[in-house]
Amino acid sequence: MAYSDKVVDHFNNPRNMGSFGKDEEGVGTGMVGAPECGDVMKLQIKVQNDRIVDAKFKTFGCGSAIASSSLATEWLKGKTIEEAEQIKNTDIVQELNLPPVKIHCSVLAEDAIKAALADYQKKAGSKTGTGSAQ
Amino acid sequence: MNQPTPSGGSRNVQMARSMCWHCQSEVAGEYFCERCVKVQPVSKETDYFTCLGLPRRLTIDPAVLEAKYYERSRAFHPDFYLNKTEAEQAISLDNAATLNTAYRTLRDPVQRAEYLLDLEAGSVKTIRTSPPADLFEEILELQDTLDAYRAGDHSSETGRQLRARLEAERGALERRQAEMEDELQRLFVEWDALQDRGEADGQARMERDRLLRRMRELLSNRTYVKNIVNDLVETIG
Repeated sequence: MAYSDKVVDHFNNPRNMGSFGKDEEGVGTGMVGAPECGDVMKLQIKVQNDRIVDAKFKTFGCGSAIASSSLATEWLKGKTIEEAEQIKNTDIVQELNLPPVKIHCSVLAEDAIKAALADYQKKAGSKTGTGSAQ
Repeated sequence: MNQPTPSGGSRNVQMARSMCWHCQSEVAGEYFCERCVKVQPVSKETDYFTCLGLPRRLTIDPAVLEAKYYERSRAFHPDFYLNKTEAEQAISLDNAATLNTAYRTLRDPVQRAEYLLDLEAGSVKTIRTSPPADLFEEILELQDTLDAYRAGDHSSETGRQLRARLEAERGALERRQAEMEDELQRLFVEWDALQDRGEADGQARMERDRLLRRMRELLSNRTYVKNIVNDLVETIG
């Protein structure tokens, strides 16, 4: 199994590994898994004034899954919510040079981004009182 | 020798399957033409249960499965086709390969259930279950403990404490995996009972969906648990 240099780099020096408190102000958490291979990915964003100021991840899985989530956190930082929504798994595939059998790792990373954004928006929505009062 | 391709509509495939590739007479038997006694190809559309002559049920007696497998293996064994035409040799070889895959898949309860879910609900992804967040948190936390143990001095007090914790977690997770497998077996029985009743009303459909969904959920969660258990075993032996 030959990983690309970029995958190896992210695997050996993962960026932004760790986590925020779930209930911290402005934090959105995405928790996803790939039932086919058993990989688990947690990706969190910290948002201030509609901009992602920080991102963290924890991934239990293969090198490509770790690299995909590590890269995703790098890309997320500094982006607005709208810009973050545009990140596609194919971008990750291209950047990391993932082989076809590892494309699902990039899909997992995209799912994690989406889940984190949705979680943030749900929390933000319920706080301003526009959502349901629960 | 007009062997119709399976790419036509399902009606064509049905017709193709019932017609002997050699003498074009209708094939009533399972794998051999009764008129010219030529071996017939197992259609690619034939599911593994049918292939082994079993009803589409999840509880399978391993002895019955094995007997069916051997019986059919003998029918297709390449040794018996050495003096036959090339076409027959090719068919027997293909059939033997399909049969082997079918047997391997159905022999293992987990693979059997995965296969049935594919058959009944399309691809794995069509049944969406919500991710088990608690289990994920647990796995990620455990991974941190594993990392700490791997990086630290195993003979130190902290190392020993970490090891004891990992061993306890391993035991708990293995028990959980066993529980999941037990529940899967119970769902097998429920599924089979539902099939045997053969009802098609709304309630039966709901029950069918519930069982498929729960099986999907169990199989996924089992994979997550199994993965982290493998990691634990690798690290602490």
